Parts: sequence; structure tokens; C-alpha cells
Amino acid sequence: MGQKTPRIYSVELNGAKDMKQTDKGDGKDKYRGLQDNCLELRNNQRQEHLTKEIDLDDHKLSNKELETKYHTNIVTGLSSTQAAELLARDGPNALSPPKETPEIIKFLKQMVGGFSILLWAGAILCWIAYGIQYSSDKSSSLDNVYLGTVLALVVILTGIFAYYQEAKSTNIMASFSKMIPQQALVIRDSEKKIIPAEQLVVGDIVEIKGGDQIPADIRLLFAQGCKVDNSSLTGESEPQSRSCEFTHDDPLETKNIGFYSTTCLEGTATGMVINTGDRTIIGQIASLASGVGNEKTPIAIEIKHFVHIVAGVAISIGVLFFIIAVSMKYRVLDSIIFLIGIIVANVPEGLLATVTVTLSLTAKRMAKKNCLVKNLEAVETLGSTSIICSDKTGTLTQNRMTVAHLWFDNQIFMADTSEDQLKQTFDQSSGTWASLSKIIALCNRAEFRPGQERVPIMKRVVVGDASETALLKFSEVVLGDVMEIRKRNHKVAEIPFNSTNKFQLSIHKTDDPIDKRFLMVMKGAPEKVLEKCSTIMVNGQEQPLNNSTAEAFYTAYMELGGLGERVLGFCHLYLPADEFPETYSFDVDAMNFPMSDLCFVGLLSMIDPPRSTVPDAITKCRSAGIKVIMVTGDHPITAKAIAKSVGIISANSETVEDIAKRLNIAVEQVNKQDAKAAVVTGMELKDMSEDQLDEVLTSYPEIVFARTSPQQKLIIVEGCQRQDAVVAVTGDGVNDSPALKKADIGIAMGIAGSDAAKNAADMVLLDDNFASIVTGVEEGRLIFDNLKKTIAYTLTKNIAELCPFLIYIIVGVPLPLGTITILFIDLGTDIVPSIALAYEKAESDIMNRKPRHKKEDRLVNKPLAVYSYLHIGIMQSLGAFLVYFTVYAQEGFRPSTLINLRVEWEKDSVNNLEDSYGQEWTRYQRKYLEWTGYTAFFIGIMVQQIADLIIRKTRRNSIFQQGLFRNKVIWVGIASQIIIALILSYGLGSITALNFTMLRPQYWFVAVPHAILIWVYDEVRKLFIRLYPGSWWDKNMYY
Amino acid sequence: MTKKDKKSFHQSLAEWKLFLYNPTTGAFLGRTAKSWGLILLFYLVFYGFLAALFTFTMWVMLQTLNDEVPKYRDQISSPGLTVFPKPVTALEYSFSVSEPESYKGYIEDLKKFLTPYASEAQKNLKVCTDGALSEQKGPVYEACQFPLNLLEACSGENDPEFGYSQGHPCILVKMNRIIGLKPQGQPRIECTGNSKASYLQPLVAVQLNYTASSTPKEVTVECKIVGSKNLKNYDDRDKFLGRVAFKITMRA
Repeated sequence: MGQKTPRIYSVELNGAKDMKQTDKGDGKDKYRGLQDNCLELRNNQRQEHLTKEIDLDDHKLSNKELETKYHTNIVTGLSSTQAAELLARDGPNALSPPKETPEIIKFLKQMVGGFSILLWAGAILCWIAYGIQYSSDKSSSLDNVYLGTVLALVVILTGIFAYYQEAKSTNIMASFSKMIPQQALVIRDSEKKIIPAEQLVVGDIVEIKGGDQIPADIRLLFAQGCKVDNSSLTGESEPQSRSCEFTHDDPLETKNIGFYSTTCLEGTATGMVINTGDRTIIGQIASLASGVGNEKTPIAIEIKHFVHIVAGVAISIGVLFFIIAVSMKYRVLDSIIFLIGIIVANVPEGLLATVTVTLSLTAKRMAKKNCLVKNLEAVETLGSTSIICSDKTGTLTQNRMTVAHLWFDNQIFMADTSEDQLKQTFDQSSGTWASLSKIIALCNRAEFRPGQERVPIMKRVVVGDASETALLKFSEVVLGDVMEIRKRNHKVAEIPFNSTNKFQLSIHKTDDPIDKRFLMVMKGAPEKVLEKCSTIMVNGQEQPLNNSTAEAFYTAYMELGGLGERVLGFCHLYLPADEFPETYSFDVDAMNFPMSDLCFVGLLSMIDPPRSTVPDAITKCRSAGIKVIMVTGDHPITAKAIAKSVGIISANSETVEDIAKRLNIAVEQVNKQDAKAAVVTGMELKDMSEDQLDEVLTSYPEIVFARTSPQQKLIIVEGCQRQDAVVAVTGDGVNDSPALKKADIGIAMGIAGSDAAKNAADMVLLDDNFASIVTGVEEGRLIFDNLKKTIAYTLTKNIAELCPFLIYIIVGVPLPLGTITILFIDLGTDIVPSIALAYEKAESDIMNRKPRHKKEDRLVNKPLAVYSYLHIGIMQSLGAFLVYFTVYAQEGFRPSTLINLRVEWEKDSVNNLEDSYGQEWTRYQRKYLEWTGYTAFFIGIMVQQIADLIIRKTRRNSIFQQGLFRNKVIWVGIASQIIIALILSYGLGSITALNFTMLRPQYWFVAVPHAILIWVYDEVRKLFIRLYPGSWWDKNMYY
Repeated sequence: MTKKDKKSFHQSLAEWKLFLYNPTTGAFLGRTAKSWGLILLFYLVFYGFLAALFTFTMWVMLQTLNDEVPKYRDQISSPGLTVFPKPVTALEYSFSVSEPESYKGYIEDLKKFLTPYASEAQKNLKVCTDGALSEQKGPVYEACQFPLNLLEACSGENDPEFGYSQGHPCILVKMNRIIGLKPQGQPRIECTGNSKASYLQPLVAVQLNYTASSTPKEVTVECKIVGSKNLKNYDDRDKFLGRVAFKITMRA
């Protein structure tokens, strides 16, 4: 029993001793980790600079020496003039914003990545082609100039759009940080003044109190019950006490330094500013993050891959036909024009815009689900995520202590820990409960901030530490108005909690008018409380404390402690009225009241409970093949307990330690293969080599890293990335920012996150909820699938647009499809439909399959390109040619006449070209017929693109399984295609600059059979894929 | 970066070799012989089917056509005018009376153009009344004779040099053929410019009759179809629809 005690001890209230232990070991390591990072990230000079800065010795100096060093006076403070001079010298006390890329650079960046390069290349080639044409013929058509200009415009407009989208989410971000400007209470010219924290200078004397953010790095000169939350700096979630004594050589460990941006939780303190702005510790760490390179997003890699494919196809076809053209005795200059024309025709003009819009639509959808995406491309990254390294506090848990279990009457009761508990349902009839609830309500210093009567109890703001807050809210739920109860039971004396006593005590007058006895109530570390008791209350009756009851107590204590919960013991004593009359004056220093033979009433345990949505989300992650790794600064037992309760460690898996315990053998003897889960502490991690870490990461499916420093998070992320995983990392502290940057997708917490974290992240979780990540993953995967469909849809008609040109070169028919007409397809009729595919629902449960493999599951793979280009694309071309030939034949030019007609057709001097019937056509009449041909070909493509759009709704399932009408946007897309085509043909028919003419209504239906054929063919393809998975057909036809 | 590049160069070379021919799997260009066979067979069948389908649909489409009369004539509702001889540069005739070489091309062009109009060639054709519309329903179509002598001095019958040697060059203006075109009213071609014009259907000869002897002479002639409601002689963009303009520069 005695052996076990320290372990339980470590989870009890305000485990200060435990804290100190880790401070000694872990803390130094944290510091070292920081330096290691410097070595990696910065050059030596910078590192020396940082090391020197951290080697500050102000904590070792006496107050007098400090006064001399900073030319200040502890009592009177700096003079205003001194302060003004120093402010001018050092600049304002604010973190300089991370090296923000100038807006213009951001803007230009939008115009050069991935797709844009392709379009720029196309535009430049167009202009070159025009240059060549112009040099040989001054009156050459301006089509190439238009095309080049349109391409450039597309890039610029899409760039503006993407820039605007990202700027918008950056603005939402900015609104977070623009909270009320921070104020500081400073002594200057012997006066207390409130000034903006930005104006603080070194040497200023500042006063802080509970709830304040520490406005700069300060050396404490005076402190009373001061506790700080250093979590944003060290990741340590426990409050740490501060005093003015020098306790440690290391400035990060000593108690007399308060750090900029950390919060003072309670107590008051006065301190001297020793560092401001970027020279503060946090400022230096924040600047580290900018040294970590941002990883290229998976979608950017995919798009690059896609551009390579398109460029490859374009150049191959171009060169092939260049050779053909030259060997057909075309002039070389003409052949070069053809070459350029073919290459440009392969550029999917509309795709850049479509992809950008699609991504931003998803980003919008994700923002509604509380995932704010800063970088559009990150939308998809989440979908390919294979490992999530998640924080515990606040992300997986509710980030507030809540009463989880009670033990009284030899029985453990479970309390409701959900987010919006309205009442507790455990048995409350026992007399013991009445006493226990009274102690809980009275022995508590936390108070609600006034004026919150209408706010739900769980949401009220409380002044006090986490445990006391939990108890206050708990008793408010159970008992009603706690403040009123406390008023009725007037407090006459009190000993606040401190780490030596490990208990808290208060003495009250009771609200029973007959009973004049004082009630002494006490709570604290269970074993300390039990030491002071001689009786125990069972069913409302006091019974002597014997061995069996003590054993029952320890069993319960162990059980609750084993759940990772923070356990408190409660006892009370009615002071005999004869010894302690009503007028008795209690003296807490002299302790003039009994401190033994109390009556033990019960135990109560608290935990920061998991968010109710998290277990479900983790299950989803697991079925989606995503490994969730918990990385926390918390104690291993707590971490493991939470991991178990949310399912990060599943119910039936064991760690090596668990197996050892179960089999009662030494840890070393356990076969590591048997363990599915592992809890690795920061200490162990520190001693691991890269290979060992890799082994841990690969051999255990369920991993919890506990007691880690934020620096170690970076090591874990790098380890995961070595496994070729796409890693998502959540973080909130400043120290998380390097890991957030290193991760493939950094996810910052919107509520708890620091600005530095949000800056380094690609995404911000507005509600800090892990479950939101999972919805993000779902959206990300869907967008990947749908982008595939969009690209397949867009690539298909590329062939139908290219073939006319090739046939024109080889067979010499009048040009079937003009450049401007192509632009109207790519940037007109096809835009809405391809965006509509983004609204397509998933074909199967996308959360039931493994994350895509970064290097194997490409966005655009060979089957996609082949099927789009060589199957549907060719079918579409034939359909469109049919319309073209029909129009020409019915106007008098039979297909046989058209062959090799090109040269005569295009001669301006020939105004009596004979058709198949001997009719003679002037040049303009032929031109008009050519435009009618363009329009016919255009309608042909458009009609078949409707079929293409419908077949692209699914890649595997039948359209009828997917539901033809489920995605209404598709029909909006189809309607838009038809309406645009109608307007172009009938509305703008007279505007010849656009090369559209009125087309006979029946020509609209010529390609319909081909469209139906496309649909049938694709249904057959999908049928065979479903029937014969893994077959030759499946491998070659499934994209 | 450089390290990676170096590595990838050797690697990619090896990968390419392996891609070209993989001795272990026997794969050539990423596919085994069997796989190539299958894929080629598939495309043979697939494209064969598509070709057959396309041929069939084209055949169906061609069945909608009439052998004699095009289905639609909406795009050539009004005839264009063309001139003969074909000028070398854009509708500009330039020659010197004293140098036969300079107009030899024109004369040959005219002769060539008029050969089918020779009485011998036209003798099987119907003799029609001047100015009357001869409508035909088929199946046997007959064309009207166009007696060459209608062209008078420009017929080439009397003057094989078409007046070029005398400084009175002939230019023929022809209306484009359109099947089924029924001109309303009394269409005729009117030419303006200081010239003497004799109009005739469907050929019109323009003979320039210079009176003044000053050389070089430059004259611009514009010919138009007039007198018919449905034959347009003006279109913004079509400079040859029912009209034609040409310039003659003649030196001594």
C-alpha cells in the first residue's frame, strides 16, 4: 500500500511536489529542446544570440542590484521622461508580427503556382504565335492575341479571387487577436497608472493580480499567493506558484520570473519589467517558428503532377503533329503555329478557376463546421491526413475540471460530466451526502462573478482555481444557490490550501438556529485528510474508523486515482459548544482548534472530462484509417485514462505495463508484440534515437505521449513524417508553432490558441473541438474525390477541342472549331457544371477507407487521363464531328468535297468557291458557314458534355445508385450549359466577333445519340468494375 | 536539394531502363506482352466499333441529302459577283498597251474562262427566251444556252485580244451560281466609272473605252446587281455580295 501511495499522490489536488519533480528533470530538458531547435533552425550567430538572451541573470540579483541595473526605483518606479526615452530606444512592448509576407508578394504568389504556370506558358505561346503570324502576314487574325489575353486574364482573376478568399480568412483570424488592448498597472513618477501594455519599458514596476496577463517578462519583487499558467510557454497545464525567491539557476525554472503572455491565475504580485517585446522569452520562441519551412501541401503536389501530365500530353501531340505537318509540306513557320496551337489547346483554361472555386466552397463549408482554413490548399490536406497528433486539454477534453466520481457510504457514485449538465442523478438520499454536499459548498473559496444569474451554470465565469470551480459548479447544480448557503453559514475562519499542508479548512456558523456549534469543514489530499480523522460517516452515522473501513477507503482512492482523476478527501467536525462558544475567536496561525479526531465523510474525484463528441470522432478516425496520437504535457495516468475514455486506447488493448501487471511479470519480459498501445513519456522520448522512435510509431497502433514538452512535439511530427504519413497537428501554445509549421497541416485552437500558433497553422478550429477535425477530414476526402471528377470532366472535352485542329491540319477541312468558341466552352458552358461536381455526395462511406497514399493514390492517375482522353474524349469528338459534317453537307459541302479544301477555302481572293452542287460561295459566305460549323461543333460538344457531367457523378457506382437528382447543383449546371449555348447561338448570333451563328434547332439533337452512347458505355464500365474488382478491367478503367 | 537531385538522376536513369524493359517481369514499356496484347485488342475492338458507328451515322446523314439540290441554301441567299480575268493582286489590273507580255496572262485567262461558252460546247443546251425564268423540277435538268456573241466585242470571237491591244480592255463580271435562286424583278448589273458597260445575264462584259489619250490611265469600276428585291448588292462585311469593284491601270 505504502509503495503505491506516491503514484496516487501525484494526481491529487495541486500536485506541487509532483510538479517540482518534473521541473527538475523534464524542465531542463524542455530548455535543452529549445536550444536543439535553434541549432537546427537558425544559423550559429542567431543561436548564440538566443542562448545569450536566455542566460539572463536578473533572477539572481537582489532588489538593490536590479534597481541599479535598470536605473529604477522599486517604490517610485521610473519617471515619465525615463520611460519615454527607453520606449524610444527599445520600441513598443509587443511581439513584432511574424515576418508577414508583403501583400503584393502574397498576391503574386497566387499567380505563379501550379496551374497558373501552365496558363502563363499558354498565353506567352499565343503571343509568340501571333508574332510569327504577324511577321509573315500583317492582316493575320487576332485570335491568338485574344486567346493569350484571356489566358492571362483567367490567371489574374483567379489569383485575385484566391487572394481575396485567403485574405478573408486571415481577417477572421485577425479579429481573434484584436481583443481589448491589454492594459498594465504601472508605477511611474511614484504614481499608479494604467497604461497600454505596449508602452511598458524595462525597469517599469508593474502590479498584477489574478486574471491578468503578464504584460512583459518580469522579475517578481513581491508576491502573494501568486499562481501562473505557463502552458502557453511550456505546455505545462498545471498552475505554478510564483514568489520573489530565487529558486533555480535556470531562468525558465526559477519562481521569481513571470513570463510575458502567461496568465496570473490568482494572487497578486509586483514585478520589475526586465524584457519587453521580442526580447522576451516568448518573443524569441515565436521567432523560431518562422525558421521552420512550410511543407508543400499534398494538393499542390498533385496539381504539379497533373500539370506535368497535361504538359507532357500537349507537347507530345504538338511535336508529333509538327513532324506530320512538316512532312506534309506545310511551311515550317505554319507548322510552328500549329505546334503552338496544339499545345495551347491542351491547356484547360477553366480548371484553375474551377479548382479554386471548388476549394473555397469547401473551405466555406468547413468554416461553417468550425474549421477555418487559412490556406485554400489545406482544405484537401486534411482529407489525406493519416496521423493526427492531438493535444489533450481543450481539444479532446472540455478544458475544465468536472466532478466525475464520489465515494461515500462505501460506494462509488458516478456524476454526470457532459458539457451541459443540468442535474446530477446519483442517489442523494443518504445522510452522508447531506454532510458531504455541505462541506463541498462551504470549504471552497471560488465565487461566481456577479451578474450571471441568467447564464447556465456550466458557462458561468468563476474566480478561483480549476478544482474549486468544478466543486462550486457541482454544488450549484446539486444544491442550488451556493452563495446563499455560504451566507447562511457564515465563515469565521479559514486556512487556504497550501502545498505543505495539502488541505484547506474553514470554520462556519451553521444555519441551524438551534445548533450553536461551529462546523469545521476540511478538504484536501485524501490520505492527509484521513490522517486527521478517527471516525467515518456511513449512512449519516458516525462510525469509528477501523482497518476495514480504511481499506475500503484506500481501494476507492486507488480506483479513482487509477482513472487518472484528481481525488479529494472531505471531512468535518462539529466543534463542541462548551469549548467553542459563539464568541470564540479562531486564530488560524495559532491553530486554536482541534486538528484531529475529525469525521471522514467522503471522497470526490475530478477530471477534465472528454468532450462528449470526441469518442465518436475517434471511432470515425479509426474506421477512416487515421491514427490518432495524443500528445500532452499531462501526467501519464491522466493521459492514459482520457485516452481510454475517448478511445485513443481502445477498450481491449493493453500497454506493455498493463500486460506486465496482469501477468505479474517484469516489464522487460513482456513480448512487445502483444501490446497494442503505448504510453511514452517525455523522459523516455528524450532518450530515444530516431530509429527507436520510428519503431514505436510503427509498432503500436495506439500511442499516447505524456509529459512531453511542446518542443518534443516537433520531434514526434518529424517521426511521423518519416513514415510517409500526412500529419495533422493540433496546438495552441506559442511553443507549438514550430510543430504546427512542420506538420502537413497545422491546426490551431481558435479559442485557447495563441496568435503565434494561429499564425503558424494552416487551419484554425473555431470551437477547439477535436470532432470538428473529423468533419474536416470528411470534407477533405470528399473534395479530393470530387476534384478527380471535375478534372476528368474538364479533360474529356479537351480532346474534342483538339481533334478539330488536328483534322484541320491533316485532312484539310475548313476549321471545325475556332479558338474563341473553345474559350466559350472552357470558360462559359463548362464552368458551372464542373463546380457543380464539388457538391456531389460521396459514393460510399469515405470515412470507412484508408487515407490515400501520398505517392500512390494520385489526383490524376493514368486511367483517369486515358479514359478521359482516349475513350470519352474520342467518342465526344466523333459526335461533334457528326454535327459539323451534317451542317456542311446540308448546306452544300459534302464531306468528300471538304477534304483538302483548306487552302482554297481560306483564300480571300477566291469569291466563287464551288461546293458539291456547283454553287459558288464568296469568301464571306464561306466564313459565315465556317462560323456555323463552329457553332455546330460547339453545340455537339455541349450536348455530350451534359452526358459527360452525368457520368462523372460517380466513378464506381451506377448513376442510378447515386441518384440522378440528389445533387441539384448538377442540374443547375446543365441548365446553365444549355442557357449559355442558347444565348450564344440565338441571342448573340448577330455579333460576328464571337463567331456564333443561329443554328437550326434540329442540329442540337444530332449529337444526342452519341451522348446517350457515352452514358451507356460508362454505365457498362462501372458495372464491370463493380462485378470484377481487381480484374484487368478494374485496373485499367477505374480512375 | 543537390543531394536529392544527384540521387534522382541515377535513379531515374535506372527507372527508365526498367520501364523500357523489365527483365524480371518481361514488361516492355510498363506492360507485359500479354498486357500489351490485351490493351491493343481492346482498343482495336473499341475503336473499330467507334469507326463503324461513325461511318454508319455519317451514312445515315448522307441519306438525308439530295443529289441535285442542296438541302439548305440559307447561307447563300444572294449571289456574289466575281470578275475575270483573275487579277494578280487584289482586284487591280495593270498593263501596258504597248507591251503584249503585260496582258498576255489576262487574255489567256479570259480565253480559258470562255472555252466552255463556245457554241460547240453549248449546242446541246436549250435555247431560252431572253429574260424569261426557266424553272425546272427534274429529274432531267436542262440549261439554257448563253450565246457568246452577246458579249459583243468582248466575246473574243472578233478580237482575240479582248481589246487590250487597243487600250479598250474587257473585264467579265459574273454572278455566282446558286441553285434555285429566283431573282425577283428585272435584275441587271450596273457598272459605274467612266466606262462603257454592256450587261447581260449571267455574264457581263465591261469594256473600257477611253477617249482621252493621256496615259497612264487609272479607272475604278464598281459593278452592282440592281433591279431585284431579293438580290442584295450591299453587305457591310461581304465586299462581293452582289457587287464587285476593281481598278484598271493602263499605260501606253
